[in-house]
Amino acid sequence: MTREEIALAPNMPKCWNPETKPHKFCPGCGHGLALKMLGEAIDELGIQDKVVFGCDIGCSLLSWDFFNLDSVQTHHGRTTPVITGIKRARPEIIGIAYMGDGGGYAIGAQHLVNSATRNEKVTAILINNTNYGMTGGQMAPTTLPGQKTETTPYGRDPEETGYPTLGPEMVASIAREGAYVARGSIANLRQLKKYLKKAIQNQIDGNGFSFVEVMSSCPTNWRTNAKETWSFVEKDMAEYFHVGEFRVPGQKEEK
Amino acid sequence: MSEKPVKGERRVFMTGNEVCAWAALAAEADIMYGYPITPQTDIMQYWTRLGPKFGRKFLQTEDEISAGFTTVGGVIAGKRAFSATTGPGNTLFQEPMSMAEMMRIPTVVIIPQRGGPSTATVIYSQQEVTMTTFGGNGEGFRIVYSTAGHQDLYDYTIKAFNTAWKYRFPTFVLGDGYQAKMREPLTIYDPAERGIKMVETEPLVGLPGTPGVDRPAQYLRNTYNTEEELYDVVMDIAKDYEKAAPEIIEWQDFDTDTEMDVLILAHGVVSRSAQGALPLLKDEGIRAGHFRPITLRPMPEEQMRRAAAKAKRILVVESAYGQFLKLVKQSLYGMDKPIDTLLRPGVGVTAEEIVDRIKEGR
Amino acid sequence: MRVVEAFVGEYASGKSENAINRSLELLSQNQKVTLVDLDTVEPFYTLRPLKKALQEMGLNVIAWSPEQTMGLGEAGSLLNPEMIWALKNEGSIVLDIGYGVHGAKIFNLIEGADTDPNLQVYAVVSIARPMTATKEDIVRYIKDLGNVDGLINNTHLGSETTPDVIEEGAWVITEAARELGLPVMYTAVCQELADKFANTDKMGNPIKIIRRFMPQAFW
Repeated sequence: MTREEIALAPNMPKCWNPETKPHKFCPGCGHGLALKMLGEAIDELGIQDKVVFGCDIGCSLLSWDFFNLDSVQTHHGRTTPVITGIKRARPEIIGIAYMGDGGGYAIGAQHLVNSATRNEKVTAILINNTNYGMTGGQMAPTTLPGQKTETTPYGRDPEETGYPTLGPEMVASIAREGAYVARGSIANLRQLKKYLKKAIQNQIDGNGFSFVEVMSSCPTNWRTNAKETWSFVEKDMAEYFHVGEFRVPGQKEEK
Repeated sequence: MSEKPVKGERRVFMTGNEVCAWAALAAEADIMYGYPITPQTDIMQYWTRLGPKFGRKFLQTEDEISAGFTTVGGVIAGKRAFSATTGPGNTLFQEPMSMAEMMRIPTVVIIPQRGGPSTATVIYSQQEVTMTTFGGNGEGFRIVYSTAGHQDLYDYTIKAFNTAWKYRFPTFVLGDGYQAKMREPLTIYDPAERGIKMVETEPLVGLPGTPGVDRPAQYLRNTYNTEEELYDVVMDIAKDYEKAAPEIIEWQDFDTDTEMDVLILAHGVVSRSAQGALPLLKDEGIRAGHFRPITLRPMPEEQMRRAAAKAKRILVVESAYGQFLKLVKQSLYGMDKPIDTLLRPGVGVTAEEIVDRIKEGR
Repeated sequence: MRVVEAFVGEYASGKSENAINRSLELLSQNQKVTLVDLDTVEPFYTLRPLKKALQEMGLNVIAWSPEQTMGLGEAGSLLNPEMIWALKNEGSIVLDIGYGVHGAKIFNLIEGADTDPNLQVYAVVSIARPMTATKEDIVRYIKDLGNVDGLINNTHLGSETTPDVIEEGAWVITEAARELGLPVMYTAVCQELADKFANTDKMGNPIKIIRRFMPQAFW
């Protein structure tokens, strides 16, 4: 950014890299909001010098140079194992794995499941926007029944292709004591930041696997204007995906 | 019987990915399994739109490992199953494809090559030759067609099903991102109209009758107990492959019947540039010929050697750093011919660039 | 009066070619013209290499340029913010729109598209594309597209195009247009074949001579 641009820039988390702003996410994309909350969380926890940030393929790929954090862009679905590998070799590093629906629930599902069952001390953040955005809007595990995507041109038929994946619920049921599992939404940023901070703090405390799903928006592939976009996140998605904390260390399991 | 997707024959204008989807429909493919990855995702997007109209099925799997294994499953159930992938997806496909190689399962997979290694670019390359021809573990025997344009994509996608099912080797249609996205005219046709009969499929499991009562149970495996057992299995497959090879190999040659100053070896879309270079070289007084293998496996070695014998020098041109070159050297082993190279990994090669390379090599 | 036209249609039907030609036509009428590449299916692979050349001709082009797409790896449907506000540009606007499975809903992403009094949507159709080869296919296809103000006959077979090919397209598309109650805006004819045609095709549609730019584009 030029000096003028820096002077006019909106408030950005300190750990953001101003040179790669404005970022390339589509207008109306939820990634920008999620990454802002993540940035503020990292600032407030004072760990900018300890974090290694991993991103997946897909739209999360655009975050590869987003932060002033050491970052690694991995193969599709392999962000969780790469960050796990880093953490195992250097436990003092705070490993954050950032991915989308495919990276966590499709090709990356086995890694998510195994990191959860082994209680890997990493923090995985998954952006759920009910489609594969970067490749042009194909069906994702989180696509809603009846939703049109490029590979469900007649609407997703749950009889044929199943119902939307409930990731945090799954992880919560297989994770051990010490795990932190939550689902937040860009529709409630204050709550989302709280969840992200707790998920990272859980790693700092060395308790266990931390996972936060973020309900997010994709107006480009949903082909929705602003009003419809928010409605989709706050109403349609909320029918299937419930916000809340599913596992908190020390607390009895919530339903 | 469902309506035919292509009746008679027609001249049309489409993108390469679309061609593959139509060819699979015309070849009576029953089911496609796949996972999105640029630049081949359109093949499944056209299939999901058109397939249901003709009673064809589709599954988007959780990843390419699954796409490969579900394709294997569809084939052993006796259906014409196929998939498409590229790049890192192709890497993941090698595991299921090695199972297909060991068990003689006739899968068909379309590969529009993209840049590599790793994620690289989504655009184009010829950098998946090594992996597509020899990517499995062990001595895998497979068939690979390298297409140079839309008519090829149509013809060889249909042929791939027949070659696979007749000879029982996993078969690949190796295109690239340029072919996948570019637009050109071609003739789509009903194979029956051209006297092409689709080879009958047959199930390896789920046969009629009760196993152990009406017929023996089918036991499929890919593991063996002793080295000797494995040796026999592999040598048997090798024998079948070598017997079938002369019936499968395909190639094209251009101006190779006379003595040449230089023989250009290239495959796929780069062959078009090589063909385009020939008249330009002739104008410059250089006697050039071009040999294009269409099957990279089995490689038309004898035919390549025959053409090479008449040339003073060889020039190997590819959009990779020596993957095709390796296959060429293997085929021309023992021939005392100087080999020049024009290696452009991930980048297209024009006819002019080939001409310049030949002139500078003099 | 400013012109706001969207060229929509099947993938590879010729939308971009017609959009570029229309933009240059308006430019030659001394209008300020903005050309927008809104192909979310192939955003980087249509106007990108042409952007500089077209800008040098005086067009305002909203499309990603190669330098901006560095580091984007998997190419996809990224929307450039300028595209959302495209209609706020002064002067005439030509939109090259690639529809995916959601069809006309893409207009939701363009601010003001629903209220713009000048917006005309033209469907570019080629009968050499198998899914729009017959009258019935075309009628069904256009009905699925949503709001369309006119059809354009862009039937061609690339470098193999002959006048007969174009006229056959004119016939089929005009029949479809009649059934739909829509006008055929024109029949596109590439410069190389211009001398084979009079002012109208055999169905009475005006002929428009098109200069080909897309062969210099990526694909």
